[in-house]
Amino acid sequence: MDNLIAGLQVTALGMGLVFGLLAALWGLLALAGRLEPPPTPPAAPRVPPALRVTGGGADELTPETLAAITAAVLIHIASRRRQAAPEMRSSWPGSLLFASRWVAAGRTRQTRPYRRERG
Amino acid sequence: MSAELLTRLAHGPLGLSWQALVMLAVAGLLIYLAVARDYEPLLLLPIGAGCMLANLPHSPMLAEDGMLRVLYDSGVANELFPLLIFIGIGALTDFGPLLENPRVVLLGAAGQFGIFATLLLALALGFTPNEAASIGIIGAIDGPTSIYVSGILAPQLLGPITVAAYSYMALVPVIMPPIILALTSARERRIRMPYSQRPISRRIRVLFPIATTVIVGTLVPFAIPLVGTLMLGNLMRESGVVERLTKTSASELANVVTLFLGLAVGSTMVGEQFLRLSTLAILVLGILAFGIDTAAGLLFGKLLSLLSRGTINPIIGAAGISAFPMAARVVQRVAHEADFENFLLFHAMGANAAGQIASVVAGGVLLALMGAG
Repeated sequence: MDNLIAGLQVTALGMGLVFGLLAALWGLLALAGRLEPPPTPPAAPRVPPALRVTGGGADELTPETLAAITAAVLIHIASRRRQAAPEMRSSWPGSLLFASRWVAAGRTRQTRPYRRERG
Repeated sequence: MSAELLTRLAHGPLGLSWQALVMLAVAGLLIYLAVARDYEPLLLLPIGAGCMLANLPHSPMLAEDGMLRVLYDSGVANELFPLLIFIGIGALTDFGPLLENPRVVLLGAAGQFGIFATLLLALALGFTPNEAASIGIIGAIDGPTSIYVSGILAPQLLGPITVAAYSYMALVPVIMPPIILALTSARERRIRMPYSQRPISRRIRVLFPIATTVIVGTLVPFAIPLVGTLMLGNLMRESGVVERLTKTSASELANVVTLFLGLAVGSTMVGEQFLRLSTLAILVLGILAFGIDTAAGLLFGKLLSLLSRGTINPIIGAAGISAFPMAARVVQRVAHEADFENFLLFHAMGANAAGQIASVVAGGVLLALMGAG
């Protein structure tokens, strides 16, 4: 019986202390939230100068041709990146984003680190 | 072949007691739950392995310089391993949802009622006050806290208490939903809580672990090891300046210590000491503690809902326990079943993070009240 009475005291004190401590933490967090200056809105991103594609004479590329070349180059870069060495992979082998298993098996190509070819 | 040689050869099989056989079956069950059912495999598999190695006849691993004995003495007996794990937990825990919505912090306190209610039940069953407090701490639903507190107050009960704590943590998705459904109406579960993300500055995120350690540590010195290590990990995470230490604490260190801790705890499950009626009582009381925690959190959530005129969904109270973030996910799932477009996850995560802090505070408070040390 004595143990039970002591247990009831422990329960009352324990729950009181836990509530009290967390209430103090709540007060602290609320205070910190009030003292914290409101966040400044992020600066508007600088808009890069847009690439203007203009149609020209007969010897110049049309916008459609330029778009097709751009798409082809991007696809080429993406496929070379997929075939590159592991440190450049963004997806794990076997995932749909990674190269096919046939390509993944081409060990010799994978030993070369990926380098974007320019020019 | 001499009789002595035969006796020496049969030394192993003859040393198998019925208790050892039962414990080998228990070890098999723990390993099965980890491997086949994916129940807390990181802990249950090493515990099962430790239990198996400790119960094989004449196991040299339990001898004076045996590996399991060395692990126990160097990391469990002095409470080092649970504290190292706490650094990893702190490094993994994002207290952001709590910082954004501090009012849910009290739900974490309500979620600790199971600890004290179970303490009373254990006292009524005849356990000593220290044993009862150790059993009650299962209600923290926090493995390292349970190991830390019971290691100090009742080391002889460490095995069953640890197994109960981790097993029930794995059973969060099974135990919580029926209690939530029983104690709340469909209308309550459908209450929507708008969520607007409040940006929390880095300064607040860094100050939070420091302030929590100082406040809790000053008021309850017994909680310093628990809250200090938890908040150290979180400070490293939020400061962003020790990325390597954060990563190591959250992965390599935590993994190594988890393995050692599991093996050491498993080695305490020796048949002669484990197979007692008290073990069964601990397992039953542990699940009661969990249920009472959930119910107390829910009822406190109802009170807050009443006081806020129905703007708080009471079921987030059930997440005010330490099983982070599983409890919050279960709450979200229950809310989702009641109303497909009800998203309570971030509110529940706030309560869950509060439960994480509250459980270490409750552990320290319990140690202080029991006069440990």
